[in-house]
Amino acid sequence: MFRTCDITGFKVDLQSEKLIRYNAVFAVISLLLAVVAAILLVFTRYQPVHLLGAEWYYRLVTFHGLNALIFWIIFFEIAGLYFGSTVILNTRFCAPKLGWVAFALMVLGLVMSNTLILMGKADVMLTSYTPLKAHPLYYLGIILFAVGALLAVILFFGNLMIARREKTYGDTLPLFTYGMMTAAIIAVITLASGALIYIPTFLWSVGLVQNVDPAMYKLIWWGLGHSSQQINVAAMVSIWYLVSFLTVGGTSINEKVSRTAFVLYILFICLASAHHLLTDPGVSSAWKVWNTSYAMYLAVLASMIHAFAVPSSFESAQRRWGYNKGLFQWLSKAPWGNPAFSAIILAIIGFGFIGGTTGVIFGMEQTNIIVHNTIAIPGHFKGTVVIGTTLTFMGITYYLIPLIFRRKIVGFGWAKWQPWLFFIGIALLSISMIVLGQMGVPRRHWDNTFSGGPFTYNFNPAVDFFWVLMMLGGVIAFLSTIIWIFIVVFSVFFGPKVNGPQDMQLTISPLAPPAKPHKGFEAPGTLVLTFIFLLVFLALFFLNWKWLAATWYVK
Amino acid sequence: MSLLSPAEGWYYKKVSKDEKMWMVIALVLCIMLFIWMVMWHVYGRQNPSSTTYKTSTAEFSKLSEAYIKQNMVGTDKGIPVVRPQPNSDVFILAEMWRWSPVLILQKDQAYKMHISSRDVLHGFSIQPVNMNFQVYPQYDYVLEFKPTEAGEYKVICNEFCGIGHHTMIGKMVVIEKEEDLKLYGYENFKKAPDLKSTKKPESLSETEMALQGEQVYALKGCAACHKTDGTSQLAPTWKGLYGKEEKVTENGKAVSIKVDDAYIKESIKNPQQKITVGFENTPMPVFPVSDEEIDQLIAYIKTLKN
Repeated sequence: MFRTCDITGFKVDLQSEKLIRYNAVFAVISLLLAVVAAILLVFTRYQPVHLLGAEWYYRLVTFHGLNALIFWIIFFEIAGLYFGSTVILNTRFCAPKLGWVAFALMVLGLVMSNTLILMGKADVMLTSYTPLKAHPLYYLGIILFAVGALLAVILFFGNLMIARREKTYGDTLPLFTYGMMTAAIIAVITLASGALIYIPTFLWSVGLVQNVDPAMYKLIWWGLGHSSQQINVAAMVSIWYLVSFLTVGGTSINEKVSRTAFVLYILFICLASAHHLLTDPGVSSAWKVWNTSYAMYLAVLASMIHAFAVPSSFESAQRRWGYNKGLFQWLSKAPWGNPAFSAIILAIIGFGFIGGTTGVIFGMEQTNIIVHNTIAIPGHFKGTVVIGTTLTFMGITYYLIPLIFRRKIVGFGWAKWQPWLFFIGIALLSISMIVLGQMGVPRRHWDNTFSGGPFTYNFNPAVDFFWVLMMLGGVIAFLSTIIWIFIVVFSVFFGPKVNGPQDMQLTISPLAPPAKPHKGFEAPGTLVLTFIFLLVFLALFFLNWKWLAATWYVK
Repeated sequence: MSLLSPAEGWYYKKVSKDEKMWMVIALVLCIMLFIWMVMWHVYGRQNPSSTTYKTSTAEFSKLSEAYIKQNMVGTDKGIPVVRPQPNSDVFILAEMWRWSPVLILQKDQAYKMHISSRDVLHGFSIQPVNMNFQVYPQYDYVLEFKPTEAGEYKVICNEFCGIGHHTMIGKMVVIEKEEDLKLYGYENFKKAPDLKSTKKPESLSETEMALQGEQVYALKGCAACHKTDGTSQLAPTWKGLYGKEEKVTENGKAVSIKVDDAYIKESIKNPQQKITVGFENTPMPVFPVSDEEIDQLIAYIKTLKN
């Protein structure tokens, strides 16, 4: 059963649309659970308040990690995969019943694991490093969720096959779907690693396996933990290209380059498990250097390529619309009133300048010594998964509400501000966590005063200032997420129905006119921005190596 | 056209000058970063070591205990203090929730530190110099440290290791000259007499027993949870414990008992039998302690009066 979208002209399979809706709704529920836990954690680590007791602090760190990093993101990505493989390709969903089985498994997994955590049977952190042991049902919940997700990914490939056979799109997959396919391939590798480690750990927790080697556990677990973040990167970059198309009618200035970059992700990104083993026993330096660099940084190269290709797709389209003056008129005349646009631009900036720079620097073998397991690490991935992925997902939701849920956005004025608030909040949170970590503050730690320990330690007094900043950033980010959730919930359940293009609050741009042949640079503004990025990266790079060089000698 | 198939001829479209430029710069940067890491192994002074031995928790605990017994020069807050020789092997044991021993190191001298855990993963984080390494059970990680600055350092645990994680903090002092020991109150520390050679259990006085008990307290790790200063965050304090009326849970029933020799003995050998009310969430593990050592511990606890 299809409907033809009166706004975009796409043929929409109603079964698929329903699956997209339900997955998206559970994504939002997971995000709500995650941020409620997050704000309690912020006020626990902020020592003057020190809200929770040690038990509930660690319990909620586990809860927050699982809901934010796994449930929120994967539910949303499954919705994205279904969207990219059916709606965009004008095709039907290959097996809707299996789609519901996958959904049910994922929901069951979510309920099981979360219940076990809140009952206090799984105070093991998201990473659950053995020999810390949780209740068997906790592991089983995650396994069920992963099996559901894997099934959904397989259905995505099924949809692609149908579309290809029935020739519902041109000769080549659209870039967005191509990027989502990259995400899906990485997801298969990731979920396989997950199965490889959670199944023996589950058997160990029920007593059928004697010992799960802790070093092996950590190596394979991060094949799931880190690679799953690369699913996010691929999905997020795909959405960036999508939003460039929707808001200014842009596309990658060279699709072959963008697609090659996606292939680089598939080839090299699965080595990232090494990022977590740099200061560990068990593996040699040669292994660490090769793997942590994704084989000479070829996956970083992919991100660097997108760092140019995505902004230049906006710039090139804007220039063709006539915003050609100077280096940055394309940016100043951009549709800033469109919350999806501002969310994506802010996500790109945050992801690059905060998450990307620290990711590469902290992930180098030696500099990892000065940040490993400090709060700088969660600071770094607030810069990638939260400012990058989460803000991107929030942004694209402003299009999903009218196009998939067929509702007008309630509180559109608030929506215009929400991405900015979120960006400021997470940027504050993330940067202050990174600075705190550089001063040695540990992550996942209930009491910075070490009460009850034989000794005590006072951090550099400057930490007090950054704790305040972190708390402030956390509050702002929390409020903006709540605003977003309110907008989504009220729009989806009570918003006025969308009956055609006249009800669209966010414009959908027609294709930008073709370029006139010209010599010289295609996107000079973008080139300047990427050079600024390079300078910031180099400054942070040398700063960190200087700090490292000032520490004790170790070999 | 990210929602549509790309335009005809997309595959053969020439890459624009600026994009090509950026890609070349990015590629060069990537290769430089890789070479940088390799070169730091040649010219840099901070490189995580590749030396690891497979071990077992029991084997490493035994090694570390023997090492401490042999080299202990005193205790600090119930934790044994060791002053290793430069270039010697040093054994550091991480366990829930303490680091042992406390180390006295000489500035600009190298020490081969063997680090491993008795139970779960821990994080070895030296502050304020801010160097962080991962500690595993079943693996012995050998890191050769050379402290470059004198001062007092703390070792905090930065890998979650259970409810008492935040109390896990150890100490290292780096001295330049002998007088520096005074800064830490370590000036009277000397090599302790070997316990084995003076061991005549039947002739030990109560005071001698108690002194040995204090050593066992430090060596076996009781000090990680049981404090002697009257605080009871993770486990009942030993101060004023002997002879006290204590509420405990036995087989799910609350009963009141008097702390005496028999109760202490049972609590060490079978910690889950009677659990003191209020400490249900920090169950005590079974430690390898001999009957003789238990008697010494009891003698020590008796001396800790309110």
